[in-house]
Formats: sequence, C-alpha cells, structure tokens
Amino acid sequence: MCNHPKPERPRSIYCILPPHMLEHIAKHGDAKQREIAIDTLSTDHTMRHFRSVQAALAPRRAAPMPTAAAPSANRTIYTANHTETLPGTVVRAEGGKPVNDDAVDEAYDGLGATFDFFAAVYDRNSIDDEGLHLDATVHYGRRYDNAFWNGQQMVFGDGDGDLFNRFTVSLDVIAHELTHGVTGDEAGLVYLGQAGALNESISDVFGSLVKQYARGETASSADWLIGAGLFTSKVQGVALRSLKAPGTAYDDPVLGRDPQPATMSGYVKTSTDNGGVHTNSGIPNHAFYRAAIALGGHAWEKAGRIWYETVRDKRLKPTATFTQFARYTVANAAQFFGADERKAVHDAWAAVGIKAG
Amino acid sequence: MRIDFRMDGGIAAFPGLAKPVSIDCDALPAAQTARLRTLVERAGIFGARHEPKASSSPDARAYTIAVDDGGSRGTLTVTEPIANEALRALVAELRAHADAQRRGR
Repeated sequence: MCNHPKPERPRSIYCILPPHMLEHIAKHGDAKQREIAIDTLSTDHTMRHFRSVQAALAPRRAAPMPTAAAPSANRTIYTANHTETLPGTVVRAEGGKPVNDDAVDEAYDGLGATFDFFAAVYDRNSIDDEGLHLDATVHYGRRYDNAFWNGQQMVFGDGDGDLFNRFTVSLDVIAHELTHGVTGDEAGLVYLGQAGALNESISDVFGSLVKQYARGETASSADWLIGAGLFTSKVQGVALRSLKAPGTAYDDPVLGRDPQPATMSGYVKTSTDNGGVHTNSGIPNHAFYRAAIALGGHAWEKAGRIWYETVRDKRLKPTATFTQFARYTVANAAQFFGADERKAVHDAWAAVGIKAG
Repeated sequence: MRIDFRMDGGIAAFPGLAKPVSIDCDALPAAQTARLRTLVERAGIFGARHEPKASSSPDARAYTIAVDDGGSRGTLTVTEPIANEALRALVAELRAHADAQRRGR
C-alpha cells in the first residue's frame, strides 16, 4: 500500500487515508496531491496490506499469546432513536439479554449468526479476522427504507411500513452488510463499475450462505433470495434480488421491475448507482448460483470456499473486472479442490457469458 | 421555484424509486413553499455546484438536489449519512414529497 513506485517519495499521510478520501483528493487536490493520491489508489489500499506494513515496521512487537479458545463475537447494538446520528445509544451489548425490541434483537442475533458462520466455516475471526467488534445501529431515521455499511458499522432503518418492513427482518440483509466489511478488509474492491458489482455480489453470496448455513439448507433446497420478508404485503414481489433467477424478484407499480441481468448479454451501462453496482451484480450472483448447484451439497463448503479464497486472493485488485475475478475463482477451484470443481466453476461463468480461461 | 430531486443507490436498485422527481413549488400551498424555501436557503443549495462522486459507504444512498428559482440556482449531491443538519432536514422533506408523488397521493 505504501510502497510508492518512486523511491524518493516518503511515506506520507496518503498511506493511512481511506480510499474515499484518496478518491476525493485525486479528483479535487492540487497536481502533486492528485499524483500521490492516484499512485496510492492504484496500488493496494486494503487493511490486509496495511497490517503487513505495520508488522514490518514493528518487528520487535511480541506476538500475541496463542489461545485455544474459539473466537467469539463482540457485538454492540445501538439505537439512533429515529434520528440520523451515529452510532446512537447502546441498547444491547455482548452477552446482554433480549430487550424485547425486534430490531435490536434481530440485529444482535443476525450479527451473531454471521460471525458464527465465518468463524465455523472459514475460520475467520470477525470482519478483519482479528476479532473486530461488531457495531450496528437500528431505528435509524424516520420511515427510513434502507440499510448500509458506513465503513465502520452497520446501519438499519425501520422501513416506512408501507413498502418496506424493518431492515433487520432478513438475516441475509444483515449478513450482506457485514460482508461489505469483510470485502473492504480483504479485497478493498472499489464501489464503482464492475469492481463495485463484484463487491455487491460478494455481499449477496455470503448473505445467502449465512442464511443457508443457519437453516441447514443445501444448494438445491435454498431459496437464493436476498431480503425475503422485507417487502410489506402491498408490494408485488418476493425479495430484493434472486441469485437463482436475477430480474424476477419484484415487479411492482411503485418500485418498478427488478432490473438485474443474469448474463453479460443484459449488462447495463449506466452512470447511476455507482455504475449499476446493484444491477450488474446479478451476473456474478448467477454464476455463483450455477457453480453451487453444479457442485451440490452445502453451498458454503465448495462454492463458498472458492469464492471466499478469491476475496482473500492477493492477486485480486481493488479495480478487478468480472473476468479477472472469474479467472481467480477457477484457479482457486483447482487449487483448493480439483479438476471437477475447476470445470464446474469455469462452466458456471461461461453460462453467464464470461470466459474464465 | 422548482426543485429536481433524485435518489441514487441504496441496498437495491429500484427503478421506480430512482426516477427523478420534480417539485413545482408554485403549485404547492403557500406554507409548504415557504417551508421548502427556508430549508433550501439554510442548506446552502443556491450557488452550489457539486459533482456526483462514488460512494464510500456501500448501500448508502446519494441524493441530488437541483434548485432553479429564475435568477438563482444550484445543484448539490450528498451521500448518507448526512452530517449537516440543514441538509438532512431538506432531504427528509424532499423524500416525503417524492414518496407522495410516486404513490399518487
């Protein structure tokens, strides 16, 4: 991250600035600021690399004591009390009893289920694999129809009650938001264009897998929906998205029709939504679904593992394209499993119009 | 005074919610127009000219507000969470107007 190509350039503040600030400087700074920011952005700005630099700078620091205890979640749920102030007031901390508030208790349980999934299946200790505490704020805003990850914590609205229920109602939505933290930590995929659509897709993939794991479902018995239960009964639709059949999740007079393509022939070029990150994510989503069905059994065991290792793959750049990501999944299928799995993943990408080598 | 309002992003791409909404303040009751004008002035929209940028918060929404009042005009794009209280109040008001228009009320 901080290994600027020109040796005379000192380590600088740019090394610790988050990507969005670097992007801002790259756009609005003076000529020299822009040059350094673009340099830094074009290399790897992930926490993964930041930590490796930190480790190199502090070689004498004692290694942490090895521990046999399984990692455990450290959750804090806040309420914004219908304001838009973050994080708000603590309503339930780790180990606390249920507080008889659905949004609070669903967020607590959902973060726990997501933590448990990553720990048990991929031996990952929280968002940063170093036990990062999990913070979430519920009751954000008034009639607020959204949930997001602000780089540090998850935020959930209560919905307007007219189109949307509270956003903690779907476990896969909670896991989707937490996975944005994992992707930010490991791959740092920029939230724009194909890299942004991959970022979105990874959140949908692991969002769905967390739900399947909690329910003990196989690839063929899962619904592959994101956000089932989020719409009120007034909405004509079943969920936000479908990995099994992108473009079919809803068709409603107010919301419009699910715009997701399943294959590259439907790829949408747009300047809205950061270049269609929530639209074109349908393509890698469907590739994952096809790979999971072909590999059979519990989707987190093979397909999920291959995708997880790809998110962690050092070759994966923050500006990765669909094709680059696809190629690494194919390579990881061969490396972690074998020729049959390699072929299944390769064919899954081919079916959505991406040639993965 | 005319206000064009567009909501972008969020946890899913909803074509119906992403459609720009235009509010003709002259067609509103006088009290509502006055309220909107106060909010627009407090939020500092007039004279503003901000380019949209990529969000740094996955699934956060961005709002673009364009105001045209004959002689004065301005455009601003703001991404959630909105720190500025005046902007937050304006966005909340415009969201309510947009909701009402979309749902035909």
